[in-house]
Amino acid sequence: MDHFLHLLSSGLARGAVFAVFALALVLIWRAARIVNFAQGAMAAATTYVAFAVTAATGNYWLGLAAAVLAGALLGLVVERGVMRHVARQSPLNSVIVALGVVMVLQAVLGIAFGNDYTPMRVPFSMEPLWVGGVPLLSPYDLYVIGAVAMLLLALGLLFTRTAVGLRMRAAAFAPETSRLLGVPVSRMLTLGWTLSAAVGAFAAVLVIPTELGLNPHATDTLFVYAFTVAIVGGLDSPVGAAVGGLVVGVLLSLVTGYLGSTLAPIAVLVLLVVVLLVRPAGIFSARQVRQA
Amino acid sequence: MTRPRIVRAVAAAGVAALLVPLLASCSADSTDDASGAAGDAEPAPGVTDTEIVVGTHHPLSGPAAAGYASISAATTAYFAYLNDNGGVNGRTIEYIVKDDGYNPATTQSVVRELVLEDRVFALLNGLGTAPHSAVLDFLDENEVPDLFVASGSPVFNQPDEHPWTFGFNADYTAEAKALATYAQEHFPGKTTCLLAQDDDLGEDFAAGLVTVLGEDGLASEQVYTTSNPDVSAQVAAMKQAGCEVNFLAAINAFSALAVGTAAKLGYQPQWLSSSVGGDYGTVSQYLGENAALLEGFVSANYLPSHFSETDEWTTLFRQINEDYNEGAPFDGNTVYGMSVGYLFAEALAKAGETPTRQGIVDAVTSGDLRGNGVVPLALSATNNGAYQGVQVTVVAGGVQEYVGTPYTAEPGAGEVTPYTGGPVALEDDGIPSS
Repeated sequence: MDHFLHLLSSGLARGAVFAVFALALVLIWRAARIVNFAQGAMAAATTYVAFAVTAATGNYWLGLAAAVLAGALLGLVVERGVMRHVARQSPLNSVIVALGVVMVLQAVLGIAFGNDYTPMRVPFSMEPLWVGGVPLLSPYDLYVIGAVAMLLLALGLLFTRTAVGLRMRAAAFAPETSRLLGVPVSRMLTLGWTLSAAVGAFAAVLVIPTELGLNPHATDTLFVYAFTVAIVGGLDSPVGAAVGGLVVGVLLSLVTGYLGSTLAPIAVLVLLVVVLLVRPAGIFSARQVRQA
Repeated sequence: MTRPRIVRAVAAAGVAALLVPLLASCSADSTDDASGAAGDAEPAPGVTDTEIVVGTHHPLSGPAAAGYASISAATTAYFAYLNDNGGVNGRTIEYIVKDDGYNPATTQSVVRELVLEDRVFALLNGLGTAPHSAVLDFLDENEVPDLFVASGSPVFNQPDEHPWTFGFNADYTAEAKALATYAQEHFPGKTTCLLAQDDDLGEDFAAGLVTVLGEDGLASEQVYTTSNPDVSAQVAAMKQAGCEVNFLAAINAFSALAVGTAAKLGYQPQWLSSSVGGDYGTVSQYLGENAALLEGFVSANYLPSHFSETDEWTTLFRQINEDYNEGAPFDGNTVYGMSVGYLFAEALAKAGETPTRQGIVDAVTSGDLRGNGVVPLALSATNNGAYQGVQVTVVAGGVQEYVGTPYTAEPGAGEVTPYTGGPVALEDDGIPSS
């Protein structure tokens, strides 16, 4: 039982981190109807900004803020500079171009900062709190889970309760109609990219310290798991990303603990296949009366 | 756009990414006949009166570049030093390093380029069990000397199967047997366990441990996969099993992760790590300010210690690193890269005035090479592995130093024996002559 509780809590902590990253993917899907394959590399780049600012000022929070700002800026640049010019013709184009962005970013980061892993400091202890002799969540895990919950709430409000959120969704679902109704579709698209890249940047700053450290490839596997999470939860659903993240995190942890590490990635794949077969649009997808 | 279109698009992109290197290697295949036969009267490929060209594949970019990219730079620096001092038999050595990103598909295409287009004399220190396994047959067919592969897998020590291939690193099995013997002597009666990577490294290391500790010598055997950088479940299980002495068959990053995770769980067992994941400089870099957790960390090595202030080899290599490698960080990788360069130069010097491919292989298997290790070279007519023994290292006060006497170990289930011959001494400023 102790072992189970430990596995459960460490799975939840990792799942929370998958959830934030998946959320960034969901955001861009909602705004632009594309899966941003450059999300991981963009977030790695902005984490270097956080690292540099924290190193220069000694303040974690300034670093975090700088990363989020840099993320927004990078999102803007990638959308206006690259994606805008290719996305229209075929969905494959944006996938290929995003992979190109990944290669460029990772190469530039490697040239500028080297390929070594750099440990990052965090403001809270990563040592778990012991409850009844079982190591459960650490203060840092609690901080991550709290931050994710607040972010989810804020984004939920943005999309469902504000005019901007409504316009963003409208621009993504039915660009032509929205344009006729006076929605500045192209600006909404840019806003979506900016927002998503900022969330991705935030997520990476939370996650990277819990893994091997900062490296141009630090977000590679994270992106793969987050992509799975987003598909499992439903690309359209922020709540799905959150729940999917926790499910995948706990699944990885339990399978590793009881069946062995080699089976863990396979278990995640099986989950993905089952969800795609049973509910292809994801567990939390909204029912669609007709397709756009 | 609907989901199925995206899924199809992604699948198409994936297939395209897989096909590109495959096609590249197919097109290279069609020109196989360009390679030269060994032992001809004509000069061997890559050899002129003034120069010898050798090549390699290393991960210079991608996830594996961290921790490996500095090796080929060190080898290149050693060759630059050698060339400035007249080279070998009047020829300078040119070392072509190709980036394969640790991806076996890319390894296949860059090695074909090296052999068929750049016409290298030999391949030197190709890095990684999986990438290098992908080119073994190609190198065999073309009779290209495949010298000093950067891996401790027994795959690269099969004189009958692959007579052109020679491993460099201490055999994982031999290393495990030496570390297990050390554990029996220094931590008797303790519960021993293993955390291993789920590939050849883990399997070969476990096999070595079992020959010394017995079939039920390990109370808990945990594995990890590199795709999941979280080992808390495994470490918690080891703690629960009462493990006191833990062996690590892991790469540096995961050694650091294991030690760090255990500390977070308030668990401080004795760690004994394979040399693959036991370089103090690298592991402590991952741990950052928690590097003090490595105090007492036991590992193994077979080359001069980069911490040593007195070792002649280390002193020479440190100087070469300053003069020819732009003063890059001096660590275990630097010593490793330069040691590979030295061993190749030694083999080349022994291969005679006009080296041929068969000639250098004969020199390597002659048993006359000395290397620069703390144990003697094991290369012989029946053994294609360079190092088959190690000496234990312990971290004390932030310095990783050798302790006790080295062990040599026969391949497979063979004996572990202490070696008292002392390390190989430096001669002629590290410039081999015939």
